[in-house]
Amino acid sequence: MLTLNHISASYKKTPVLKDISLTLSAGQTLAVVGESGAGKSTLIAVILGLVKADNGEVSWSNSPVKDCLPSLVMQEPLSAFNPILPLRQSVMEPLKAQNKTITEARLAQLCERLELPLALLDRKPNQVSIGQAQRAGILRALMAEPPLILFDEPLSALDAVSQKKTAQLIADLQQEQGFSALIVTHDLGYAAAFSDYIAVLRKGHIEEITSTTEFIKKPQSDYGHELRAAAFSLGSLGYSNLEAKRENSK
Amino acid sequence: MTRRILGLLARAFVVLSGTAFATFTLLWYAPGDPAHAIAMARFDAIVSTDIVDIVRAEAGLDVDFWPAFINWLTPLLQGDFGYSSVTGRAIWPDLLSAISYTAPLALVGLVIGLMLAIPLAIFATRYPESWLDRTAVAIASLGVAIPAYWLGLLLILLFSVKLAWLPAIGARTASHMILPALTLGCGVAAALMRIIRSGILEAKCQPFIPALQRRSISQSRIARSHVALHAAIPVITVFGLELAFLLEGTVIVEVIFGRPGVGRFLVKAIEARDFPKVQAVVVLTALLFVTINLLIDIIYKLIEPRIGDNNA
Amino acid sequence: MRSVALLVFVLFLLSVIGPLLAPYDPTAIHIAERLSSPSSKWLLGTDALGRDILSRLLHGTRWSLGLAFVISLIGLLVGTFIGLMAALGNKTLDWAIMRVTDSFLAFPELIAAVVIAGLLGGGINSLILALSLTSWMRYARVARGIGLSLQTRGYVVQARLAGVSLLSLARWHYLPSLLPSLVVVWTSMFARAILGISALGFLGFGVQPPSPEWGTMLLDARIHMRAAPLQMIWPGITVVICVLVINLAGDALRDALAKKGNE
Repeated sequence: MLTLNHISASYKKTPVLKDISLTLSAGQTLAVVGESGAGKSTLIAVILGLVKADNGEVSWSNSPVKDCLPSLVMQEPLSAFNPILPLRQSVMEPLKAQNKTITEARLAQLCERLELPLALLDRKPNQVSIGQAQRAGILRALMAEPPLILFDEPLSALDAVSQKKTAQLIADLQQEQGFSALIVTHDLGYAAAFSDYIAVLRKGHIEEITSTTEFIKKPQSDYGHELRAAAFSLGSLGYSNLEAKRENSK
Repeated sequence: MTRRILGLLARAFVVLSGTAFATFTLLWYAPGDPAHAIAMARFDAIVSTDIVDIVRAEAGLDVDFWPAFINWLTPLLQGDFGYSSVTGRAIWPDLLSAISYTAPLALVGLVIGLMLAIPLAIFATRYPESWLDRTAVAIASLGVAIPAYWLGLLLILLFSVKLAWLPAIGARTASHMILPALTLGCGVAAALMRIIRSGILEAKCQPFIPALQRRSISQSRIARSHVALHAAIPVITVFGLELAFLLEGTVIVEVIFGRPGVGRFLVKAIEARDFPKVQAVVVLTALLFVTINLLIDIIYKLIEPRIGDNNA
Repeated sequence: MRSVALLVFVLFLLSVIGPLLAPYDPTAIHIAERLSSPSSKWLLGTDALGRDILSRLLHGTRWSLGLAFVISLIGLLVGTFIGLMAALGNKTLDWAIMRVTDSFLAFPELIAAVVIAGLLGGGINSLILALSLTSWMRYARVARGIGLSLQTRGYVVQARLAGVSLLSLARWHYLPSLLPSLVVVWTSMFARAILGISALGFLGFGVQPPSPEWGTMLLDARIHMRAAPLQMIWPGITVVICVLVINLAGDALRDALAKKGNE
């Protein structure tokens, strides 16, 4: 279980995160929504230990998060891969580092699941499409079967069609592998469709953490209301799913 | 700003301590027994090991590395360079006399270098990439590749041996200064010219220059005030490196031209294994070098406060 | 670019097969024909002991170029290692390493080399030690600078999260990015090493006679400047040519890299 206890952090002496507390249980999905500049990326950096918190504690089952060797799926898939190495080497990197192996059959199965032709893995990052690179990033994140995967705006570099496909894929894979997912996004529609809980982040504060079904019915904070209203009017991605989810929950 | 300058001072102190430590380590582990050398010099004869041991104790050398380092450092910190282990004479007066030959030479060399490099660079950048520019760059590249000792010998060959215009060896008259200073100046000019040239070119590309031109500020005024200031920044930065070049060049030039300056002082001290003299030169050079680099850093921060501490 | 590459190749070839091309033994003394002018027998003349200057120059490539290669390579390896340690290590280590680097930079390199080589006593080992000790700092600074800039790259973050060892991190993600810049530094340090070796030789602290090192040859020739001025010209010209070619190669490489970087 991921636990953040009264975390605050700053960037170049400007406070970015203020008194953040949240938990994420095994196998659950937490979506952190908020506009750009709300501190979402810093939150991920703090959880992963890339940025030191000024105050508070972050832990995964009472030990440092990096000990559980979490994975990260980045917003810019191209920058997540070393440009001079074939994708296969980057994808295999976590396994090699953790002395694990994977059968060729399992790899082929995962690739098929992700709609990545195996041959594509022998290419360099700049020789595949952005969508393919992002799916390769997800593949790498899954390789060592980590208990926790963080997604930093996983859809924003993709076009509308691959957005929908990739979002569904992440949800399905989570069903299969049972990892906990923390998804940071500015896209409430996506968050609403694919998460168990929604945390609303604004100017470094958590305004509310509500179960997604509750949030869709009635956000608890004013800002949550605003966000929800904006998402409705824009009719953003997953809105249809959102309706469906609401139906399901009844 | 004050905090930054204090930081620079602290760094200079650490660096100086590091240099002192490295110097002592080298002297400590260098082959040859310094106590033996001192004893030989003092009694001018072959000495017994007993006497060497007495001398060793006197010089504070009969202890372990760290106490010996303290014994060595304390008088230095008090500005006492001690006595030559070969002649027994006090080092400071001799060193001071050597400096009185070296300092003017280095200064004149630097001035000649600047007088050659700046006009050449301005001349070259008037029409960048023209044949004039290319020729100037080619001359500078050639100049960088010519070792100072060879250039010095060539100048002696031409002006002293063939033409018999100028004296080659010694330092008695002002005309003895001409050839060594020219040797030094050419080396400095070659190294500086390319840096000044790219500094000017970069300054000319700055976005504010066309704006000034549109405001019909005269070309020469732009050149004087704006381009010059901008070109000065990289020049100041490399000045520390140039100083190294100047000091290195002086050592060699003094040896070639037989000038009794610091360079020859050092080389002779090394040949005679006169450790106290060697360390005096080393410590003084480090002090000079660190001080000037410190000043450069401070000036640099004053001109360009935007630049952070990125080479920390 | 191609012509520069060709020149570098010729230099390299000369340093390997140069000694084989020498018409005479470089240390063979012909007292009767000392200080001969260039002739069909002695293409570049002879020195004060009647040794063939051309043969000495050709054998000298092994000393000047070969030693410079070794020295600049030691500097490259040591400096890169130290710089990467600073970039990959924690802040305290980085600070300590950079202050040591500053201390080494706080002294004119050639003077330091003269002192070290002189105090350790002449000979090739002290020469290599003296010039390597004073040449690793630039590599270290470049390696550290680029290394620090890589730290925030996505793929480096990914590798660190996955628990990749420092060794493979350096091998796969740092070295490939460092290499081009390091090669540029290496060319300029190679040229400096040539100058340093001959300067130490000229001061009498470097390669010891009768080895035909170019700086030592100049030292010999200096005494007989009046009688045989040409004898002094040759070693100087060879040093200038080598340094010039290597510097040209460095400039060409740097320009090519800058161009690639801009694309």
